Amino acid sequence: MKLGAAQTPTASTPVIPVLEGRELTKSFWVKQGRGLLAGKARVHAVESVSIRLDPGRVTALVGESGAGKTTVGRLLAKIIKPDGGEVLLDGRPAPPGRPRAYAAQVQMVFQDPFASLNPVHRVRHHLVRPLQIHHMASGDLEAAVDELLRRVALKPPAHFAAKFPHELSGGQRQRVAIARGLAVRPRVLIADEPVSMLDVSIRLGVLNLLADLRDRENLAILYVTHDIASARYLADTIMVMYAGQLVEAAPSVSLTDRPAHPYTQLLLAAAPDPDRAERPALAAHGAPPSLLAPPSGCRFHPRCPYVMEICKRQVPPSVAVASDHSAACWLHVDPNERRVNETGLPATTTARDLLDQRN
Amino acid sequence: MTINSTSLAGIPPVAGPTAELVLRPTRVLRLPRSPKVIAGLVILGVFGVLAIIGRWIAPYSPNATDQQNWVRHVLVPGTGAGTGFPASYYPLPLPPSAAHWLGTTVFAQDVSSQLLAATQATMFVGLLAAAIATVLSVLFGVTAGYLGGGTDEGLSLVANVFLAIPGLPLLIVLADYMPSAGSSVLLVAAIIAVTTWAYTSRTLRAQTLSLRNRDFVEAARVSGESRVRIILVEVLPNLIPIVAASFLFTALSAMGAYVAIAFLGLAGSPTSSPPGLWNWGEMLREGFANNAVRGGWWWWWAPPGICIALLGTGLALLNFGIDEFINPRLRAAGLSRRTAKKAGISLRSTLGMTPVAHRRAVAIMPQVTAMRPEPSSVRNAAEPVLTIRGLSVDYGYGDQAVHAVVDCDLVLRRGKVLGLAGESGSGKTTLALAAIRLLRAPAVITGGEVLFHSKPISGEEPAGTIDMLSATEEQLRAIRWSEIAVVLQSSLNALNPVITIGAQFDDLLRGLARAGEVLGMVGMNAERLRSHAHELSGGMRQRAMIAMAIALEPQVMILDEPTTALDVVTQREILEELIGLRDRIGFATLFITHDLSLLVELADEIAVMYAGRLMERAPATSLFHAPRLPYTYGLLHCFPPLHGARLAMEGLKGSPPDLRDLPSGCAFHPRCAWAMPRCHQDVPTLAPLDGSAREVACWLHRGEANVPAELARPDPLPSGSGRSGSIARVGEP
Ligand SMILES: Nc1ncnc2c1ncn2[C@@H]1O[C@H](COP(=O)(O)OP(=O)(O)OP(=O)(O)O)[C@@H](O)[C@H]1O
Ligand SMILES: Nc1ncnc2c1ncn2[C@@H]1O[C@H](COP(=O)(O)OP(=O)(O)OP(=O)(O)O)[C@@H](O)[C@H]1O
Ligand code: SF4
Ligand code: SF4
Ligand SMILES: [Mg+2]
Ligand SMILES: [Mg+2]
Repeated sequence: MKLGAAQTPTASTPVIPVLEGRELTKSFWVKQGRGLLAGKARVHAVESVSIRLDPGRVTALVGESGAGKTTVGRLLAKIIKPDGGEVLLDGRPAPPGRPRAYAAQVQMVFQDPFASLNPVHRVRHHLVRPLQIHHMASGDLEAAVDELLRRVALKPPAHFAAKFPHELSGGQRQRVAIARGLAVRPRVLIADEPVSMLDVSIRLGVLNLLADLRDRENLAILYVTHDIASARYLADTIMVMYAGQLVEAAPSVSLTDRPAHPYTQLLLAAAPDPDRAERPALAAHGAPPSLLAPPSGCRFHPRCPYVMEICKRQVPPSVAVASDHSAACWLHVDPNERRVNETGLPATTTARDLLDQRN
Repeated sequence: MTINSTSLAGIPPVAGPTAELVLRPTRVLRLPRSPKVIAGLVILGVFGVLAIIGRWIAPYSPNATDQQNWVRHVLVPGTGAGTGFPASYYPLPLPPSAAHWLGTTVFAQDVSSQLLAATQATMFVGLLAAAIATVLSVLFGVTAGYLGGGTDEGLSLVANVFLAIPGLPLLIVLADYMPSAGSSVLLVAAIIAVTTWAYTSRTLRAQTLSLRNRDFVEAARVSGESRVRIILVEVLPNLIPIVAASFLFTALSAMGAYVAIAFLGLAGSPTSSPPGLWNWGEMLREGFANNAVRGGWWWWWAPPGICIALLGTGLALLNFGIDEFINPRLRAAGLSRRTAKKAGISLRSTLGMTPVAHRRAVAIMPQVTAMRPEPSSVRNAAEPVLTIRGLSVDYGYGDQAVHAVVDCDLVLRRGKVLGLAGESGSGKTTLALAAIRLLRAPAVITGGEVLFHSKPISGEEPAGTIDMLSATEEQLRAIRWSEIAVVLQSSLNALNPVITIGAQFDDLLRGLARAGEVLGMVGMNAERLRSHAHELSGGMRQRAMIAMAIALEPQVMILDEPTTALDVVTQREILEELIGLRDRIGFATLFITHDLSLLVELADEIAVMYAGRLMERAPATSLFHAPRLPYTYGLLHCFPPLHGARLAMEGLKGSPPDLRDLPSGCAFHPRCAWAMPRCHQDVPTLAPLDGSAREVACWLHRGEANVPAELARPDPLPSGSGRSGSIARVGEP
């Protein structure tokens, strides 16, 4: 298995991404209040998120609950329509709607393996349907089902094909769900928290299966998770989301070893880590903001230990802190430029200071 | 009335009885095989068969008069010659005889033949109405629920209009106004169906609405499945229990309505024109109209009455069975009561308390005199607060019992955190909650001892040792919450949604004005006392629960996965506060989680549970750096590290065992890389390791084999208080 591929394709890499989201924006309207007073409020779930998925690579999307990770996944799978931005398949704008041709390229695996399989149907049904819809198996359906189950290491296949979902363990169900995603031989697999509902002891098995699929079948995988340690283990690139926006993106090892955004630092400090000598003291506290009325400027500013005046007023640009490492934070903007923007307030902290401060 | 023979020809035979619809051998509707359901099915089956074959087994035509035996001229007493009144005759029905099993009516018509004809007509109307109503409700309800939006609003409006039409009155008015309406079974069935479908439609719409957002429907959509197929193949089969239940209900009410209008004489007499059909209501009407009750001719009026009652009962029983199926909690309750009785355990006295099998009740023990020696594992100076010894807990009774906890020992110490780790279903919650007897039946404590050494921090609760397993309900109530507090696994939903947080604190503290202060201790603003639970985020709710748990300064705090549903940042903040509180109040903590990596940071001592047994117990640092049990070793290697080189990890192979079907010997052996022949046969028990403060249940450490290097790393020096200052990670394998 190939873990730890160090470099990520950057803008300079000639490879065209299989699937790309550009400046994706999505809000939901939710009811507020009751009865006659009920009004509609806007949830800014995803704002201006650009993301690329390359063949043979796993990209992880990390963030806390409500950050908008699932929404990005659903936008890419074209289950929902973006309000702004576009989805490109092989560099060309994907056709509107969700035609079957698109479904054959981009598949999704859901978080809850207990909910994503229909309790009244056998495993076989779940695998046969996509094959039939997309005319994948010319002739021998049974053989195709066997082959799929073998690919996700459910052996003997005949035995599993005849089972109902409730007769399977959580890990086995998630494997069936992945097999269903693979049935149409897609080039992109969007896995929304595929292991978070599973027992710790079987999570690695599913992660290794995904790594295997990436390596053997050159699949482009989006791995959505809130567990940054598993993202580091599986993914080539990690993207961190906070309150609907991308705040940092880098190859997984550089991101976890040298986090540049204060939110990523907080996430890493809070993650359980038995290797740590002492319990970490969290630099930031508080809860993520309401997406109904997100904070002005940098959305992290109410919690950020390094907050400056400009952070409250202006949205930070995405800055390259290394060749393939970007962060959206004013700390990484040259203090002089920052001062220009900021109308006169002195900048006290630089990115270097910050990185040095970090233990 | 004139009597002529009309037969039931022209009425299509009733297709398959209801029972067949319910008994489809799919998983969708596997009815619980309770006596009720079986009785219901038998009743329905008998009626169904009679309805179908009635025409052929009926000895006579229902309208035919038995000319030979008809007693035409019975003189009404007090009339006729010599009385001054003109002679008046009345007919007399024949009592049951060989020729007429159920006797005859006053018109010498065979009751049994009428009954058979009536059964057919009544059931036909019921089933036809139910079929029409079901088709309508599925069509409207599922379409509205699945498509949503404008379609939903339009269809729901239509349904609501129909909901407002009163069925029976409409039928009566129609039948009265237009006699032919009443005598046409098709029309009667249609009217009943049209006025009842909307109820079911609403239920189906709501269910579909929730199914539509379920992942498996979304998955079908993602794979390119067409809308019609999604509705028919993915959604509809999940609705069968509801559809079946409403089918039965509509059938029942339709038969009721038909019998009712017939009894009122509005369904057309079989002998009038256009002729109505014989049905139970018509039979009753004729009986009543001809003094059957006053005349004591029970064979005339009783059979149709009994049929109505029987069929109603049958349908109701079946409906109940489906209800049990839809609502598993009902099923569990019914089953446990019965099996418990079989196993000789009385559940009545133990509501809300875990029953204890085979134990006599003892009151509070006097101040302990002879404490048994402690398990050698623990050398902590801190004194024990809760001692659990040999605790075993079953779910269910007798043969069906699942042994969820087997022979477990734990000691909670003041000011210490004991971590309980293990995979889902290993029995962590069961162990903790059984120890304080908070589990409900079908859980039964089948053995062991739990002693609570109470030394209240404040208040006048009893000091001394309480035997938890023989304590009475009052004794337990006195110590729960105030001395032993629990934050339950599902506590995110444990707050009362209708009253404010403040009011819930008032209930708990009984007027002590400390609620604000307590909230402050968990990092919440006292303002929050005025909030309702739904106004708080998950983290806030969890904090509020913890605040309530510490409000009465308990001596023992049981935290069952208190932070699993939360974000890492919130989780970390809550843990920080808990540790602070522990230091301040000095309670003993039992911290349950499946996240071993979290426990290593948090706990003083860790116990690892597998398939209901404790398998390893050691100080946290020892367990992390030098696990002795293959399972612990595997579990520790399930957490990818946050630093260092990225290495492929294998984790544990296989999946957690099924408690109903445990592997023989060491339950872990199918997944163990070091399993030996002996592991397949003998169950290892927890035993101290030579020369260390730890225990392990594994044959590897019984001198059976060479201990592999991975499981023989040097124990880091015990630091007394559990956590040592700095930890260096011992090299990866
Ligand atoms: N269909 C919807 N209608 C209204 N609001 C929605 C909808 N879907 C998502 N949201 C809101 O959008 C925000 C982002 O949701 P999303 O599910 O993408 O987050 P997430 O990062 O996947 O979180 P989690 O880790 O909890 O799955 C949340 O505030 C959520 O409440
Ligand atoms: N009411 C019940 N009836 C029958 N079996 C039960 C019942 N409740 C729990 N069990 C079984 O008892 C075993 C132990 O359950 P328990 O809830 O204690 O596990 P746990 O270790 O707390 O798991 P988790 O981490 O999922 O909370 C499980 O196998 C479960 O299926
Ligand atoms: S932009 Fe400002 S507030 Fe936002 S993360 Fe950077 S320093 Fe903190
Ligand atoms: S007893 Fe045997 S099977 Fe069980 S953990 Fe030890 S070596 Fe493995
Ligand atoms: Mg999500
Ligand atoms: Mg539990």
